[in-house]
Amino acid sequence: MQVVDLDKLKRDGLLWQGRQRCLASARVLPSGWPALDGILGGGWPRAALSEVLGEAHQGLPLLLPLLARLSADSRWLMWVAPPHVPYAPALAAHGIRVERLLLVQDVSAEQCLWATEQALKSGGCSLVLAWPGQVQTGHLRRLQLAAEQGDCPGILFRRLRAVREGSPAALRLRVRPAPLGFEVEVLKRRGGWGGESCIVPVEQPGPGLRGPDPGSRA
Amino acid sequence: MLWLALYLPQLPLEVFVRGRQHAGALAVVEPHRGREQVCRCNAAAAACGIRPGLALPTALALHAGLAVRPRDRARERQALHDLAAWAYQFSPRLTFEPSLLLLEVGASQRLFGGLRGLLDRVRREADQLGYEVRHALAPTPTAAGLLARRRPGREVRDRGGLADAVGKIALAHLTRDANVRELIRHIGLESIGEALQLPRPELTRRTGPRLSLLLDRLLGVAPDPRVEWRPPDRFAQRIELLGEIEQSTALVFPARRLMVGLCGFLRGHGGGTQRLQWALAHRDRPETRFDQGLLDPSRDPDHMLEVFRERIERVVLTAPVVAIGLHVDDWLTLGECNRELFGATGGRDRDLLERLSNRLGEQRVRSLRCLADHRPERAWQLCVPDPAGASTSPLAPHGVQPPWLLVQPRPLQDRRGVPLYGGELRLEQPPQRIETGWWDGFDITRDYFVAHSPAGERLWVFQDRRGGGWYLHGLFV
Repeated sequence: MQVVDLDKLKRDGLLWQGRQRCLASARVLPSGWPALDGILGGGWPRAALSEVLGEAHQGLPLLLPLLARLSADSRWLMWVAPPHVPYAPALAAHGIRVERLLLVQDVSAEQCLWATEQALKSGGCSLVLAWPGQVQTGHLRRLQLAAEQGDCPGILFRRLRAVREGSPAALRLRVRPAPLGFEVEVLKRRGGWGGESCIVPVEQPGPGLRGPDPGSRA
Repeated sequence: MLWLALYLPQLPLEVFVRGRQHAGALAVVEPHRGREQVCRCNAAAAACGIRPGLALPTALALHAGLAVRPRDRARERQALHDLAAWAYQFSPRLTFEPSLLLLEVGASQRLFGGLRGLLDRVRREADQLGYEVRHALAPTPTAAGLLARRRPGREVRDRGGLADAVGKIALAHLTRDANVRELIRHIGLESIGEALQLPRPELTRRTGPRLSLLLDRLLGVAPDPRVEWRPPDRFAQRIELLGEIEQSTALVFPARRLMVGLCGFLRGHGGGTQRLQWALAHRDRPETRFDQGLLDPSRDPDHMLEVFRERIERVVLTAPVVAIGLHVDDWLTLGECNRELFGATGGRDRDLLERLSNRLGEQRVRSLRCLADHRPERAWQLCVPDPAGASTSPLAPHGVQPPWLLVQPRPLQDRRGVPLYGGELRLEQPPQRIETGWWDGFDITRDYFVAHSPAGERLWVFQDRRGGGWYLHGLFV
């Protein structure tokens, strides 16, 4: 008979219990926003695909603290087909080492998905952000697999209409501008029920205060 | 001294077919007593009953679709030179005989973990290059060559065992010199062993000095000076494709052969390269040329191949390809090339960058850097990604800045001085004034505001203080 160590499964985040709100810390990356971590079960899923759905590709500010923390790593922070120019001085002011950014631009929809998949599974990136157009479920599944294979978090920013389509992503969020920041709603979460929402105060009043101080995170 | 002979029995055929993964029935023919006769044929031709020695009309009768090429000795010689460039990694002392390479490996075997390690490597790479090799080892080059042709696989380490090893081989195989061969036919000696048993003065009296000298060289009694091959200082090789290739993906196969040759050449020179120059020859058009870049000097054919696969995707073939060439003009001297050197990521960040740049084009794969300038258009720059990139420090930020910038500021309508974006914008006060640039011709005088749209978005807008117009320049979404 095979003996299963329940505690070990719990520690590794492979077992989820209905009343448990947080995934094992090994499986998540704290977002840097306490309110957001609260509804994500600890943070962004680590080796998995997440989707951020919103009008006009919204939601980048949610990732800024994580980008800042991961930019200390020697691997790339990959941005595939971003809708605008990432404004380097602003990112640097958030504590992001911009020379860690790898931007893939002016590519077709197909090249965008190819590059995203390559980046996820390469082991050469600490985070992959992508702004694909239409994505078929089969493609999402490939990306999800690539993220697992490369042990890399992948965040897809998609239009709100994708809400209606099914997705194998581990996490799906809907974002909406709200006073002082974003309203974030969990549509789907692996190891969770979904349906929670919170306000992430990315926009803090007063000049010079832009998100949490990069130095203060654990 | 220990000589390794590599005999290439199929060379006349291989020079035509090595560029193709699958070739149809092919026979190489040469004139023999006034008629064309099959000298080598591939497996597809052999399956139809064609074999060396058949007259060409007979061969064509067996298989009407047989492709026929006249034997091309110039191309065989070139192939041997190309092979020598690869084999130079195994030994700096290297010489030729027709269809045969000779390497002195007594000194260099140690570098490859002994003779077995060296031979395994030679066999594996020769196969990747598209050549069948038969080898033999002997203390003299003549004996090694003779054994490779007549007793392949034979390995004789010391001179004492030589006479035994070559004894049964027909004396006529000792030389290609027609006069000596004629002589041998007349003296009635069959094998080398028989000739060696005759008292030497007797043999010399009956046959003259030529045969005697050959035997002495064979056994290492007389010196056997050879012209040593000198490696070229740049790599330039090409493979003819036996017909035409229309799909670029079919070029991966011959390209790999060239890269294996290149990496042997680079190892021989203790170097690695970062730029491979490819040329695709067409029948009646100028060549298609393209470069393949590598981030770090490399001599790893698997790595090069991976990058080539991405690069070739972007090559548009304007016409069918009849030959593929590879040139490498410069390389860097390296210690042992070792990707483990590249920190914790083991070079995976570099591999990714290379793969993306080659497939998508370098201009589509960029990184960012900050510049010391307050003007939003001049405060950043796209740059070539550098895996070991050092930090650039921006100016201390003043005011709130958005994570997204529009490449071009977008003009906004206004109503009574209030800018519009899906309705009237609410502006946060006070504005941030950016006013500078008279020295480089890009002088601006702008007031930047954080603005709220009726839809709840935060925008970065400015008013041009000279013209009074409003523009959208960044997004906080």
